[in-house]
Amino acid sequence: MTTTIAQQEVALVDLVDRLLGGGVVIAGDITLAVADVDLVYVQLRALVSAVATAQEKGVMPRMGNAL
Amino acid sequence: MIELYAIAEQPPPDVPSPLVTVPAGSLVAVCGPADDEVTPETLWHRETVLEGLMADRNLLPVRYGTRVEDEEAAARAVDERREHLGAALERVRGAVELSVRAVGEAGGAVHEPLLALARDAVVGRPQAPETHCAAYLVDRAAVQEFVDTVAALQRTTTNVQVLCTGPWPPYSFATP
Repeated sequence: MTTTIAQQEVALVDLVDRLLGGGVVIAGDITLAVADVDLVYVQLRALVSAVATAQEKGVMPRMGNAL
Repeated sequence: MIELYAIAEQPPPDVPSPLVTVPAGSLVAVCGPADDEVTPETLWHRETVLEGLMADRNLLPVRYGTRVEDEEAAARAVDERREHLGAALERVRGAVELSVRAVGEAGGAVHEPLLALARDAVVGRPQAPETHCAAYLVDRAAVQEFVDTVAALQRTTTNVQVLCTGPWPPYSFATP
């Protein structure tokens, strides 16, 4: 499968959604700086929009790189 | 401080240094150093570690950034939740998570055929321009069929682009 930068970005968005929003909550103490998380999210959401735009133009393959 | 990475079952998995395994009854906490900052590289590194562990194991990924004082505190935190964690491990036993995003008018049309192949699903709120965003809990043996179905949906559904990634550890199904 061809791997493109766009595919890696989609996988990164999926990763961030999962790591920061998923997983079992064990302790009340999640000491991740909120500012860090917000920054990562904003950057990644911009990437998703870019990927979607690229898709509309038909310039990227259909599957994420992790498969 | 150390960070909790994942919960697995006894016997303890082999982990690469500097990770450690902390026994807690029938469960094992996989712990490691906490990242100083959040970057795509640190997140991918965590994912790589968990993928290595899940190659031949059932595990529950722990919410990123979960820190405890030391190994003793990790064991205590797991032991206090052993029933909850045991039930959560049962839920994901033998399965992995696949992510599907769809962009286009009829994005929701991909959900039913994919759900039919999955053990469970969590549908998220799609953020524009996405029209469908969901995580599917899929038996390891059914992953190929799921991926083939995604490809078939892509071919047969007009005006939709489907993005599928995985297999992921069961981040979205880590509660019982």
